[in-house]
Amino acid sequence: MEKMTRVSTVLGSASVGGKTMFCHLDAPANAISVCRDAAQVVVAGRNIFKIYALEEEGFTERLNLRVGRKPSLNFSCADVMWHQVDENLLATAATNGAVVTWNLGRPCRNKQEQLFTEHKRTVNKVCFHPTEVHMLLSGSQDGFMKCFDLRKKESVSTFSGQSESVRDVQFSMKDYFTFAASFENGNVQLWDIRRPDRYERMFTAHTGPVFCCDWHPDDRGWLATGGRDKMVKVWDMSTNRAKEVYCVQTIASVARVKWRPERKHHLATCSMMVDHNIYVWDVRRPYIPFATFEEHKDVTTGIVWRHQHDPQVLLSGSKDSTLYQHAFKDASRPVDRANPEGLCFGLLGDLAFAAKESLVAGGAEAGRKPGYPGGDRRYPIFFFKKPDVTEQFAQVASVLSVFEALGGGGGGVCGIGGGVAGGVAAGSRMDWFVETARLYLLSGKPFAELCDHNAKVAKQLNRPQVSTTWTMLRIMFSEPAHLSSSANHNMGKLGTLPLLNSFNMKDLSSGLNERNKESRQDNIHSLETNINNNDVDNEETEGSEGQAEYVFGDAELDDDDLYSMEHDNQTEEPEYTLPQEAFPLRHEIMEQPSAPEPPEKAESPHVSGSEAESACLTPSESVSLISVSQLLFPPHLPPAFFGPVVKEMLAHYAEQGDVQMAVSVLIVLGERIRKEIDDLTQEHWYTSYIDLLQRFELWNVSNEVIKLSTCAAIGCLNQTSTTLHINCSNCKRPMNNRGWICDRCHQCASVCAVCHHVVRGLFVWCQGCGHGGHLEHMRSWLRDNTHCPTGCGHLCEYT
Amino acid sequence: MFVARSIAADHKDLIHDVSYDFHGRRMATCSSDQSVKVWDKSDDGEWHCTASWKTHSGSVWRVTWAHPEFGQVLASCSFDRTAAVWEEIVGESNDKQRGLSHWIKRTTLVDSRTSVTDVKFAPKHMGLMLATCSADGVVRIYEAPDVMNLSQWSLQHEISCKLSCSCISWNPSSSRAHPPMFAVGSDDNVTYTGKVQIFEYNENTRKYAKAETLMTVTDPVHDVAFAPNLGRSFHVLAIATKDVRIFKLVPLRRETATTSGPTKFEVQVMAQFDNHNSQVWRVSWNITSTLLASSGDDGCVRLWKANYMDNWKCTGILRGDGTPVNGTSGQPGAASATGTSGTLVSQAAVAGAVSAGRAKAQLMPG
Repeated sequence: MEKMTRVSTVLGSASVGGKTMFCHLDAPANAISVCRDAAQVVVAGRNIFKIYALEEEGFTERLNLRVGRKPSLNFSCADVMWHQVDENLLATAATNGAVVTWNLGRPCRNKQEQLFTEHKRTVNKVCFHPTEVHMLLSGSQDGFMKCFDLRKKESVSTFSGQSESVRDVQFSMKDYFTFAASFENGNVQLWDIRRPDRYERMFTAHTGPVFCCDWHPDDRGWLATGGRDKMVKVWDMSTNRAKEVYCVQTIASVARVKWRPERKHHLATCSMMVDHNIYVWDVRRPYIPFATFEEHKDVTTGIVWRHQHDPQVLLSGSKDSTLYQHAFKDASRPVDRANPEGLCFGLLGDLAFAAKESLVAGGAEAGRKPGYPGGDRRYPIFFFKKPDVTEQFAQVASVLSVFEALGGGGGGVCGIGGGVAGGVAAGSRMDWFVETARLYLLSGKPFAELCDHNAKVAKQLNRPQVSTTWTMLRIMFSEPAHLSSSANHNMGKLGTLPLLNSFNMKDLSSGLNERNKESRQDNIHSLETNINNNDVDNEETEGSEGQAEYVFGDAELDDDDLYSMEHDNQTEEPEYTLPQEAFPLRHEIMEQPSAPEPPEKAESPHVSGSEAESACLTPSESVSLISVSQLLFPPHLPPAFFGPVVKEMLAHYAEQGDVQMAVSVLIVLGERIRKEIDDLTQEHWYTSYIDLLQRFELWNVSNEVIKLSTCAAIGCLNQTSTTLHINCSNCKRPMNNRGWICDRCHQCASVCAVCHHVVRGLFVWCQGCGHGGHLEHMRSWLRDNTHCPTGCGHLCEYT
Repeated sequence: MFVARSIAADHKDLIHDVSYDFHGRRMATCSSDQSVKVWDKSDDGEWHCTASWKTHSGSVWRVTWAHPEFGQVLASCSFDRTAAVWEEIVGESNDKQRGLSHWIKRTTLVDSRTSVTDVKFAPKHMGLMLATCSADGVVRIYEAPDVMNLSQWSLQHEISCKLSCSCISWNPSSSRAHPPMFAVGSDDNVTYTGKVQIFEYNENTRKYAKAETLMTVTDPVHDVAFAPNLGRSFHVLAIATKDVRIFKLVPLRRETATTSGPTKFEVQVMAQFDNHNSQVWRVSWNITSTLLASSGDDGCVRLWKANYMDNWKCTGILRGDGTPVNGTSGQPGAASATGTSGTLVSQAAVAGAVSAGRAKAQLMPG
């Protein structure tokens, strides 16, 4: 509070504050400076030298110091400084090496007072002593610094940096005799004004030129320097050696640096090229600017805080010929726009999450005190408005954590046990995909067996709905006449039970249900060898009433209810079905409302398990078996009849994110369905599935899918940009013709070195001598020997 | 069940982005401390930092992996107005034995005049391409004509979005029926317009043209993410703004094949959730696009899943520090940590809340 009162006394009542405003200048500015009472600003440039009054609503031109018809080069200013004690006194540094002082108190139009032409090259910087009225310092491109006593016609002392050009000179704010100078070779020197013979201290501050330096306005001995290496460094000069205390990395070379008044750790910078913005940094957080002023359209050349005790208003001049007053409240805050969180899903359902520590911690607090949601608005905002807010600085950091999905698709029980989150995790974990891809059979067996196998795989992976789909596909597309008895029986069991359970046809008479159950009871033992597990079936049937309630009863049931219900009903676990999975099947039923239903057969109980097993089923018997289980169509319908249904089902799977199912079915059904689905869609499914397989590094499956695909665009995937260059293992010459017979030595190139037979399939060879053979043979040979089996003398290595 | 595994990231400032690679074995993080770190998962499931290097001279907003077919390649973008492409060098150096790898800069893309806010590689079937978007509202699409030469990138398209861009997402669909498409979101908080625009490549004009603006999203958008397509005929887009939104874009069939002009879409809002009760910063889809994760200023990750009726529901909440949300979250360790720096944390939390608008920023005496 002490400081605040001081500010208000110094500033008076009306002088502070100010809105963002600007005015156009006639020419680009090179430097600006304010007078002590912060009411006027001087703008100097190559073709401009004017004084503007800072008023409430805008800038008003007060005085043009460029007088005369043909202004001399002395008016071409590189720098300007308004004296902080004598408000009539200004100094400019001219590009021709002149140092000029101006007295606004002169009655005539030409205010020029004194002219020092001692520097040989451009003067980069002039600096008045903060308290001494008559002392002026200059730094020039010629490498010298000169100290002038304005009461004399010449400089009183000359300081030779013994370095390259001087870019900046600054009197220390607190130490009367000390000034700092920065050089183009990266050095900073400290001088005592009374000792022109040599510097007191020198250190290398930057790589490349140091364009600017600024003493901290408080007596801390802090010096900020900015250089072409895009860095701002804060040095502690109070110790024997200059110590780097902070380093801010900006995005362009730093042209000016100015400490912010009343804020210990803040400083403003602007850049020499590329970047037109003005940044205010908190040096303790050197990566993101605290605030940014983005108004200028060209390089900002001069920045100055309007009043030495007012941190809210900044003035700037620019090459775009504008003079701006920036109000701090209008600054953009990059920190606020910066994203405090990162989130990414991994392949296996892992979730990487990085968040600002305070967000996470604040959230935890809110969790403990549920009365205050949000956690951060518990206190009124003024609670934080303490006098010196900059002293409170939380180190900003993020916490990084990976949420690993646990519980596989197989472990459905424990997944459900965990409640809602458990169910999610089981769904997010991608093991089921990998396992399914590995275990599915897509070719090499009769259609019915493929379906059975895949249904079994799906069942084992706790995906009953997929399993049912496979079974149904088999029923739809198998031709009953060609099936063997056991397969037929399987078909009956597999096809009917899930149908019963998941459909729960409303018209399914209870009597039928009972009968069905009884007949199954008889068969339990005899059917053990079947693919489907009879015990499971049995339980499913018994539990079917309960299930019917939620599958059909109320689609709007809450997830929680679903889960809890399943939790209670332990017997149903294997039949655990996510609600969405019931969807396509249900849909299919609606597709078949007109399917003929042979009631007389449903009522006839002549099919029992034992019969089915003992006798080779005739087609008619198979029909009856199906009809018992409420199959809705006669089996003699042509497969094409199901085309649209299957097509719709596949599209549904794809839209649910299970392109694996779509592609697998597509391959297994082959010609049966291919014509139904347009090539573009097929290709899309294939590419999507192959991409997924490759993500999981399932290269073999991926290649199998590519091989089995019938899309031209997919089939050629394996052939693009693959060239095999083969040398004959006998004569070491390249093999030109197709096939495996070398046209030079007329031998087969791929003979196993151990058994001397032609190798088909995997051929392994030594990279050194080129001899090899069957994988197994080579492995066993090299287990006992180190030399090549051909006797070529090479020491082969097998790893 | 999720198990939280905390990683000592050791970034010196905020982490702005996390990104898994194609196979989920590697992870890259980028931070305001101007560095990028690469993490590799060991066999025991631990994440080890194998590379950490200074990438930019400003905050690094985003980091993203290229398809491994192009090598181990990362792209990063920064406040310093550049985007950069990095490649891991495989060599027989000592670094390898110490478990470190070496990344070298292949190119710097310097076309932007303002902060580059996002960078994304295009889907693999388009070749080696990447898109950047910047705060001045320009989307730039670069292509490496020779995939073996990562230092040659040519600027193919410059698309003006009129609004300051904050995020971009490619439509990952590999179908030939879907022309290349991306969505770009804006965090502009001045104008009251649609903040998500969708651009589509037109084969005839060989240019990207705006296909759609989601007019209902008028608040600043922080993240957009197309769901993995996986053979769908339509597209699903998640948006992080003041809430989580999920849009479905159904391409409408063109009457005639000759119509040039961009595809028309039927835009449906599938879901909209304000459960975060604050700004939402990130959205991310799982690989089968069945699960959406979102994170917000409440410090929580929420998981969203659709049931068979296409009703999206929250199915899980994860807290950043791994504590369960609905259970007893008052773990002694966390409590003491926040207790010591209680005021500081609250202070920073206010700063975080200010992000919503400038009006509150004035209250900050800074």
